[in-house]
Amino acid sequence: MAPAVGNPGLAASERDGAFAIEIADLTFRYAAGEGDALRGISLAVRPGEYVVVMGRTGAGKSTLAKCINRTVPAFQGGELSGRVRVLGRDLEGCQVGDLAGQVGLVLQDFEAQLFATDVVQEIAFGLEQLGLGQEEMHRRVHRALELVGLPGFETRDPATLSGGEKQRLAIAAALAMRPPVLVFDEPTTDLDPVGKREVFDVLAAMRREGHTMILIEHESDAAKHADRIVLLDRGRIVADGPAADIRRDVALLARCGVRPRDADRIAVALALPEAVASTDDLAGALAAFPLRPSDPSPPAPAPASEPLVEVRGAHFTYTGGKAALRGVDLRIDAGEFLALIGQNGSGKTTLAKLLNGILRPTRGEVRLAGEDLARLPLSDVAGQVGYVFQDPDQQLFAASVREEVSFGPRNLGVPEGELEARVRESLAAVGLAGLEDSDPFLLGKGQRQRLAVAALLAQRPRLLILDEPTTGLDYDEQLRMMDLVARLHRGGLTIAVITHSPWVVAQYARRGVLLSDGGIAFDGPLRDLFAEEALLERSHFRVPAVTRLGRRLGRSVLSVEEFLALSRP
Amino acid sequence: MTLYLYIPGQSAVHRLHPTVKLAGMVCFFVASFVNDRPEFILPITLGIAALLVGSGSLPNVHRLRWLFAMIGLLTFTLWSLFYQQGGDPWFTLLGWIRPSWQGVHYGAGMALKLTTFLAVGTLFLSTAKVEEFAYALTRLGLPYKLGFTMTLAFRLVPAFVEAGFTVVQAQRCRGFDFDRGSFLQRLGRYVPLIVPVFIGALRRADNMAMALEARGFQSGRQRSFYQRYRFGAADSLALALAVTVAALYLWMWAQGWTRIAPSAGG
Repeated sequence: MAPAVGNPGLAASERDGAFAIEIADLTFRYAAGEGDALRGISLAVRPGEYVVVMGRTGAGKSTLAKCINRTVPAFQGGELSGRVRVLGRDLEGCQVGDLAGQVGLVLQDFEAQLFATDVVQEIAFGLEQLGLGQEEMHRRVHRALELVGLPGFETRDPATLSGGEKQRLAIAAALAMRPPVLVFDEPTTDLDPVGKREVFDVLAAMRREGHTMILIEHESDAAKHADRIVLLDRGRIVADGPAADIRRDVALLARCGVRPRDADRIAVALALPEAVASTDDLAGALAAFPLRPSDPSPPAPAPASEPLVEVRGAHFTYTGGKAALRGVDLRIDAGEFLALIGQNGSGKTTLAKLLNGILRPTRGEVRLAGEDLARLPLSDVAGQVGYVFQDPDQQLFAASVREEVSFGPRNLGVPEGELEARVRESLAAVGLAGLEDSDPFLLGKGQRQRLAVAALLAQRPRLLILDEPTTGLDYDEQLRMMDLVARLHRGGLTIAVITHSPWVVAQYARRGVLLSDGGIAFDGPLRDLFAEEALLERSHFRVPAVTRLGRRLGRSVLSVEEFLALSRP
Repeated sequence: MTLYLYIPGQSAVHRLHPTVKLAGMVCFFVASFVNDRPEFILPITLGIAALLVGSGSLPNVHRLRWLFAMIGLLTFTLWSLFYQQGGDPWFTLLGWIRPSWQGVHYGAGMALKLTTFLAVGTLFLSTAKVEEFAYALTRLGLPYKLGFTMTLAFRLVPAFVEAGFTVVQAQRCRGFDFDRGSFLQRLGRYVPLIVPVFIGALRRADNMAMALEARGFQSGRQRSFYQRYRFGAADSLALALAVTVAALYLWMWAQGWTRIAPSAGG
């Protein structure tokens, strides 16, 4: 285990080597839990350090974060042993409220952290609880707004902000209380790539202000500005050291369920000597490296005689007058795998919902296998187009996995005798065979997501639409999910994925459809889409780092594997 | 969707002290409540209408125009037709429908009363932030928790409604048809909707509780208010006016002048 390294620049401000956070032999077991969530954690964080805690779902990251501000065990009870000291104070017997102003907390669910009706009141909320004077509150509110880049938003209703803006507001609200320690529990999981970048930039700015920060994340991009990475696995610390070192331990990261950065994977695979921090450094280092030219892209398959789904001149306007789609034409042939991308509000979800008739176009038409969707009964459409919603919890309700999976087919009039076979077949396809009698709510997040897919597969659709199937999953679960989707595609299912995740698009989709402002800005083979740099930039979509690197070197590359293949003679 | 009607502005109504806004609303509620006679309610209605215009609250009246129209017309029609407290009916149908001058008079009063209620409420919500409401309640001695709960309702109700719509869509994708079966069957059939909405609400409530405590909610410290509200001359004047109106109407009510007397013919 590498030794803990402090931030040397801040040594002067430390009081006799005092730690901001000192955890000794911390073990915790949830009241309802089977095993220990944390086992013998010891961790010391110096004032001003920026520590990223990574690991797969269930590794104990969140529990560790919550022990620092006492929401564990105050809100989620259990057995705790060991010692947690924050700013020199033992937390034994402490209330969450006592730590207000000492430890700030920012959660993944930004909606649950906003209570006020305008931005200023939101930030002032915590300050009011501290009983601060008005002058002081005024100063702090404006300072916090500046730090998170929201000046000019003072009178806005938080409900009208974008996801990234909401999360930055939640950060400002925590920040204004001037807590020496700040804990972020997966603050960017529910954000699109722009929102993620906004939040990480704010964190980098806060680091310069000297806050002690603990960031829980499973995306390695988060660790870019961090001083130190702590890797957790099954409740234990498996590595703790300078961020630059741990980031390059690609094998270790993968073992802990963390996706290594493209740049680090390439640098390690090609045994490049000096540490490469960014794609730019890497492009420079590789300028003289012998690379084969990339293979010519395979010709696009000839279009089938009849499209599976066809959208013609579709407009959609929500009640209240917001136009979400303005004249969209889209044709999907059987056997395709397409990705729908575009920033939040670009209309991709609205378009996807037209494809299975959840929404009807205000103008234009949608045809399913040649028939007007508006004339088909619900059961016909649901039997042909499956739609997996982003949050499985918006679909799952039944007391057993079996009942959950048979719900759809039963609604569609599948005879009782055939249900068992459908349940078995769908559960086997998603890798949940044998769990028929389990309670869906006791499954892990990744399993619930796959159960939602199984529930729709049991309807035997020809087209499966997945809305953000990898959001909120750790890397292992993301891979398992997407490999499942790829397998279904090979089995003949037509797939449409709505996603913000660059690598998911790059590695799985064949065709990219980019939506912008309610219209289709690009529709074609993925490699062609990824070459449209300016267009993608305008739509706030970031191609994978390896694709950017490839382009700097004049190659068209979609994955690290493909890049490395070019580097072999 | 939003329940929130506040329209930022600098009108005289906006600038009033929160407690005056709240007290004013209560005064006008009382004044119209004790009145059955449309001719007496009308001055209040006109006064509120002038304030709605002056404070720039008309967009909300427009937003709620169907509610205004429905409440007004429905009340008027129903009372005009079914008024049973005597009067000289012009004709009688089925023994129930007996329109009369008294009925029309009473119906007009009820319609005006209810639309005035709605107008007073609209004026208040258009010019007072929910935080002001909470502040005013606290100043009147009610616990802060109560005011805060109300603020939260304004945030949460639209969120739940939205979650409900999403769940409906998600289950429709699974061939779920709401309009099938008897009433009891249908009740049972709502399980696929209620469970996901409920679970989502619980999870959100849990996160909210954590976020609230982390920001010092109920940490036992004496809380302060960010917004500074000064009680000025305009506030005294407005309060005096509202209280006088309420007192006047209460006095008229005590004299029995505000009721519509059943006619001898009843």
